[in-house]
Amino acid sequence: MQVFDLGNSRPIATISARQAGLIGCRRCGQVHLADKGFCSRCKGELQSRDTKSLQKVWAWLIAGLIAYLPANTYPIMVTATLIDWNESTIIGGVIDLWHYGSFGVASIVFIASVIIPVGKFIAISYLALSVQRRSIVNPHQRHRLFEVVEFIGRWSMIDIFVVAILSALIQFDTLANINPGVAAVSFALSIVFTMLAAQSFDPRLIWDADRTDDAG
Amino acid sequence: MPDEQDFKPAQMTITSGGQRSWQRISLVWLVPLAALIISLAIAWQNFQAQGQLITISFKNTSGITANETVIKFRDVTVGKVEKVNFANSLSEVIVTARIDKDVAPYLDEDAKFWVVRPDVSVRGITGLDTVLSGVYIEGSWDANITLPTTEFFGLQTPPLVRAGQEGITIHLRADDGGALTEGAPILHKGIQVGYLEKPELSFDGNSVIVAAFVEAPYDKRITSNTRFWDTSGFSINLDASGLSLNVESLASLIEGGIAFDTVISGGTKLREGTVFDIFFDEQTARSSLFSTPNQELLNLSILFDESVSGLTAGADVRFQGIRIGSVKDLSAFVVSEEADQDVQLRTNIEIEPGRLGLGETATPEMALSFLEVLIEQGLRARMATGNILSGSLQIELITVENAPPETLLVTDYSFPIIPTTTSNISDVSATADGILQRVSDLPIEELMSGAIEMMDSFERLANEGALREAPQSLNALLNDARRLINSEDVQTIPVDVNNVIDSALQVLENMDSAVNDVQVVAATTQDVIKSDISDNLSVLTQDIRSVVADVGKIVADTNDADLVGQITKALASATQTVDNIEAATKQLPAITNQVEALIAKANALEIQALVESANDTIISMNALIGSDDTAALPAAAISALNEMEVVLAEIRAGGAIENVNVALSSASQAAKAIEDAVIDLPALSSRASRLVSQTQAVIESYGDRSRFSAEMSGTLRDIQAAADAVTSLARTIQRNPSSLIRGR
Repeated sequence: MQVFDLGNSRPIATISARQAGLIGCRRCGQVHLADKGFCSRCKGELQSRDTKSLQKVWAWLIAGLIAYLPANTYPIMVTATLIDWNESTIIGGVIDLWHYGSFGVASIVFIASVIIPVGKFIAISYLALSVQRRSIVNPHQRHRLFEVVEFIGRWSMIDIFVVAILSALIQFDTLANINPGVAAVSFALSIVFTMLAAQSFDPRLIWDADRTDDAG
Repeated sequence: MPDEQDFKPAQMTITSGGQRSWQRISLVWLVPLAALIISLAIAWQNFQAQGQLITISFKNTSGITANETVIKFRDVTVGKVEKVNFANSLSEVIVTARIDKDVAPYLDEDAKFWVVRPDVSVRGITGLDTVLSGVYIEGSWDANITLPTTEFFGLQTPPLVRAGQEGITIHLRADDGGALTEGAPILHKGIQVGYLEKPELSFDGNSVIVAAFVEAPYDKRITSNTRFWDTSGFSINLDASGLSLNVESLASLIEGGIAFDTVISGGTKLREGTVFDIFFDEQTARSSLFSTPNQELLNLSILFDESVSGLTAGADVRFQGIRIGSVKDLSAFVVSEEADQDVQLRTNIEIEPGRLGLGETATPEMALSFLEVLIEQGLRARMATGNILSGSLQIELITVENAPPETLLVTDYSFPIIPTTTSNISDVSATADGILQRVSDLPIEELMSGAIEMMDSFERLANEGALREAPQSLNALLNDARRLINSEDVQTIPVDVNNVIDSALQVLENMDSAVNDVQVVAATTQDVIKSDISDNLSVLTQDIRSVVADVGKIVADTNDADLVGQITKALASATQTVDNIEAATKQLPAITNQVEALIAKANALEIQALVESANDTIISMNALIGSDDTAALPAAAISALNEMEVVLAEIRAGGAIENVNVALSSASQAAKAIEDAVIDLPALSSRASRLVSQTQAVIESYGDRSRFSAEMSGTLRDIQAAADAVTSLARTIQRNPSSLIRGR
């Protein structure tokens, strides 16, 4: 048992809410004693730890990965003009843009559509694995990583926005048409799934690893 | 310091997870599961729907792009090219394409593939859509699956016959393939019913064989009796039947073409691949219809002594007017009979036995024996005119009455020889000769001499004096006319008018003096009336007294010498005188009466009427001056001049130059006459003005009075105006007489 000096703002030792017998409502933030099952303010369910968090993370992550495969192999945008008919995948589009000299746009698309999703997959997997292995390394950095992943995930939708806008704008019947391909839906699903995966992750688990009394 | 107890953790309510394993598993796992199932399902479906890979080898793949070029069947996309690469030998391009699953099973060995490109030909423009969309590969196959295969050879050009197209393929044979091009139309009664395929040399190299496809239902029109002929371009044919020009469709004109027709029914059905001959033209084709092509022909020879010029190979051989064969060839050969050598012209002919009325199965032997009989009865061969224009000849077999007996001569060195008879050639040259003969028979000499005579007569007539004098007479005539114009009568018309005016003036003057006289008389009468007659009487009495005194003196004197008697006598005389005076005095009242009557008469004298008469006269005169005739007088002069001018022009046109001077002098005369006339004009005008002043004076003597004077003054003004006009005309003419001559 550690001793706290409440007069001092800096804790001299850490004790988790769980160890203190307290449960914070994840919805409204009200702190309850651990004997409550539901929040007295918002009637939300009180859980000291989300026991199925890692399961959900893995499930959403796998779903996102499954959706990410067709998102990259199928065409995301179908461009049909009077004399030409062109399908472009994400990577193909990036290569085309790079080839035509639009390095900036190519970089943006590449980062938003490839780097970020892939990075997310890796980051979430790392977080989930580290929690499972009860890693005690750099919990602060991991928590920061989680926040970054959760913040940045929505920006991957930039590709979907481009396709949606182009599809809406360029509809000239036989002259020129741009239609979203199968990959657009897949990609959007993939992004949604990874965002859900990030959301499902319970960051409190990061700090539980070095505690032996955790029932897990 | 807070109690340490306060920091004891609260009692944790631990709700354990589900005891069973499925309760420990999150429902979220369903999401990746569903995603996996869907993905696998799509992958499986894609794999299932994936078509069959085929390879097509092309010599030329211009425009074919991997993953873009599509394969179409009946204009529906059924596949896509996936890969384009070379065959091992680099001689061909292998196109790998994926054909839709539902179509792939029908691809068998008869499937054809070709590249559709824009094509512009006489028959139209095809494949225009490929200009924009790029080329595509068109495939053609039927619904019968024979031997499925995946390797095909692409065609260089689209096949004319698509698989599944109904029709019949036949083969046509021609001596010359120049007019046959691939794709050329086959026409039946002008409608395209099929195509020619690529012409190829026959195996023996003697002819050209071309496969032709005739579409259904027109293929039913083709039987063994069908004849094909060449309609390439146009043909002008001048033969025994005259001149004929044949042109088929425009396409066939440029591209060539084959037409066919079946005239006789009863032909047998065709087998696929039957070979037909292509005839040179329609006529040949049609006439060949009456023979069975493969029938054996009877070869005969004819020896003509005459020239066979005009007879050509192919000319008709006619029997009783019906064509039974044709001339095969003409040759000359030397007949040597020892010393006597002669050149004979041999004509070989072919006769179709079937045409002789011996039935279709007749053989040449049967025909020969038949002809033998006929020749013994007088059948002979002769040349006859086929076409009078071209002068072509044909051979006729006719029966000659009472012909010297001849037989069909069968020799070893030639075909059987038919005896001949005199030819019946009525050619153009003979006819032309006849026409020329008739022309030469015409009496041209007489005609010429008659014509010469006639010309002589004309010449004589022309040389005759009378005719020569004709211009002079004409000239004289003109001169007469000129003289007439210049004659006094005509010239004096204005003078006469002047005279008339003068007369009128004189009348007026006379009238004036008469009026004056009347006035004098009146005055005198008044004086007479005013003076006392008694004064006169007293004077008279004094005179008488003086007379008496004188008488007394005389009496005294007389007394001196016998006076008494004389006095007595004188008295008596005096008495007598007195008596006379008395008588005279007695007569005075009568005189007075007479004077009075005279005065009365003078009073009663119709001055008014007189003035009116004068007025009338003046009006008449005015009318005369104002009349069109008078007004037209200068115009008449002008027109006379114009006429003269016309005459001059005519004379000039007549070319009688010597007359021109005369005419000119006449013209100057006329001008002079006109001048004379014009000189009269001022006199006329002055007279007119004088008349006017006189008339004015007359009128003034009557004073201003009523309407009459107004009218009178108006009339006078008119007259004045007329006079002015005449004056100005006269001045103009005086100033510029030449203008009058020139008619301006």
